[in-house]
Amino acid sequence: MSTSQNTLENQSARSVRADDASASVLDVKNLRVIFEGDTHTVTAVDGVSFSVKKGRTLAIVGESGSGKSVTSLAVMRLLPEHSARIFGSVSFDGRQLLDETKIGMRSLRGNRLAMIFQEPMTSLNPSYTIGEQIIEVILRHRQMSKKEATERAIAMLKLVRIPSPETRYYQYPHNLSGGMRQRVMIAMALACDPELLIADEPTTALDVTIQAQVLELMRELQQKTGTAIVLITHDLGVVAEACDDVIVMYAGQVVEQCSVEELFTFPQHPYTVGLLGSLPRLDEKRERLVAITGTVPDMANPPPGCRFQARCPFRVEECAEMPELMEVSAGHSSRCWRAPMEDLVP
Amino acid sequence: MTQPSSEAVRPIIEVRGLGKNFVVKRSLLGRPLASVGAVDDVTLSLMPGETLAIVGESGCGKSTLGRLLMRLIKPSAGEVFIDGQNVTDLSHAVMREQRRHVQLIFQDPYASLNPRMTIAQTIAEPLMLHDIVPANQRARRVAELLEMVGLRAEQANRYPHEFSGGQRQRVVIARALASEPKAIICDEAVSALDVSIQAQILNLLKDLQKRLGLAFVFISHDLGVVKHIADRVAVMYLGKVVETGMSDEIFAAPRHPYTRALLSAIPVAAPPSHQRPKASRLLGDLPSPLSPPEGCRLHTRCPHVRPECKIVSMKLDVEASGHANACAFWRELPAQDAAEVAREPRNPKLEKLFAAFEAMAANRPAQTVTGG
Repeated sequence: MSTSQNTLENQSARSVRADDASASVLDVKNLRVIFEGDTHTVTAVDGVSFSVKKGRTLAIVGESGSGKSVTSLAVMRLLPEHSARIFGSVSFDGRQLLDETKIGMRSLRGNRLAMIFQEPMTSLNPSYTIGEQIIEVILRHRQMSKKEATERAIAMLKLVRIPSPETRYYQYPHNLSGGMRQRVMIAMALACDPELLIADEPTTALDVTIQAQVLELMRELQQKTGTAIVLITHDLGVVAEACDDVIVMYAGQVVEQCSVEELFTFPQHPYTVGLLGSLPRLDEKRERLVAITGTVPDMANPPPGCRFQARCPFRVEECAEMPELMEVSAGHSSRCWRAPMEDLVP
Repeated sequence: MTQPSSEAVRPIIEVRGLGKNFVVKRSLLGRPLASVGAVDDVTLSLMPGETLAIVGESGCGKSTLGRLLMRLIKPSAGEVFIDGQNVTDLSHAVMREQRRHVQLIFQDPYASLNPRMTIAQTIAEPLMLHDIVPANQRARRVAELLEMVGLRAEQANRYPHEFSGGQRQRVVIARALASEPKAIICDEAVSALDVSIQAQILNLLKDLQKRLGLAFVFISHDLGVVKHIADRVAVMYLGKVVETGMSDEIFAAPRHPYTRALLSAIPVAAPPSHQRPKASRLLGDLPSPLSPPEGCRLHTRCPHVRPECKIVSMKLDVEASGHANACAFWRELPAQDAAEVAREPRNPKLEKLFAAFEAMAANRPAQTVTGG
């Protein structure tokens, strides 16, 4: 037990020393993902750029089909190579992930890069105990004996607040509740002290009371270890509660990029305005919700110009041309000809 | 809940002392060995034109209760009245006729539409089964129903796969409306939809209610949605109703610790500086419904637990206003943190932006831009 705790402390101490507040852990520039099918080609991610700093949480928020999950899978190089073409640059700690070999990626994934998914039951192997699954990661990436790895795994289970971790270690995924399984996934993801954790809808399958526990846990662990987190979600409430910075995606593009505080104070893209307005809120009662009319464009055949224009109440003639992501104020960018939105308010 | 049963307004659905056990294990000879009490001693009523929400986490019995309300399954205890008639022991055939008065909408619209039927055939089926309009007028009625839910009549001959998720849910709603029901039970009807589409469907349901005087039972885990749509709310935990009352009262001043915990657990889409404290959150996981805790079923997770909670009953303490809750000690609970109830209003500038968005959207509906 003491050894593993020491390693934990050593590692966090090391990472704190190496702390350079301004250094980004992950830098994604102009990422494009194209899926080639038999009949048509879909550009699922079209020129996405963002960076995540140490100890910060970046939210990627968007509706289904906006390309948020494909972005994360492209960063982790988990997309099928025969159908997905990835362009742009993904640099992690100075290494170009898109140029890494398969073996190079394998030594990074689970070690310095970790990922958790929405449905913990499908990510866990039902025929191995949770202990075996956690030490598999540790033994793969760390020079440790099985005994030490076991101690570390139990320490990790304790860290994510699994009650009686020594017993749970020997149990199978089906013995655990949904919330506990997701906590096991977090323990497994953090077992090697990754610098970057990508969480794809980590709490969507959980009940709200359990979601609150898991989000709080992720926040706390981040403060301890300084891990940078990319949190992919469709839930603006989760963004507000758990993240520092945010990018809003629509039809494969980033339409707005800013701090969480700014997003909820005064959004600068019509899509974000509609999204916030369509959310039924607990702290107010309104007769009707602001609905965004229409549906997302067909990605195999996107319309020319701004992709939101067909649904946008603020559209003007310029919208026939695609706007760039432009800075509206310091640290707040929007892909809209009509930004800043202040001008639209009487 | 126990509103004085006035003669003038009769509830559309009324259930008394309703319970449902599912056998989970049988002996070799088929004798039940273990059972789950999915719903335990629930008394509710649904008045014409109102929306009653049933909320709770997974496994609390809210969907089972929804099925019991329209007598899709037979209760193990208690009685169900639909439109004043006791339907608890009706035969299958008689019940089928009764069902035109209460319809059900599910979460996944794709799973509840037959992929081999055009939506016109789907919507015409209840018209045919209950013989609502003569055969030669069915096509016209289908067109009316489609327009009522915001679809175009010329889409009638398409198949479900040609529609998006939100449109499919509109088709399902049109089919539910076809039998001219008095009540619709919506079981997580908007949970699978994206928020912008969810808002469209919620607005549609409200419009239909106003126009047709429908009553809704809205089963949901999403308290934001519930607050938006419900007149009355019943909160369930492990098969029991723990709090019930007018929606405004419950959201303004929740009494039961479970309701408080649910409300404080919901992440609010507001700037971090407006986030609420997290004092009343629940501890640990949901206990197994196979062996629910003795006494108050929440006592294993309640932040305000005391020794007596292991023996108290969960009887609803009903007030004259109809607000009832099952916590024996709610009067002694610490007052809700003022900051937790009274939240700062949203940025007024943002409200203006929403208003501008809505006004402009009303002036020009979405245009169709096709790709080049």
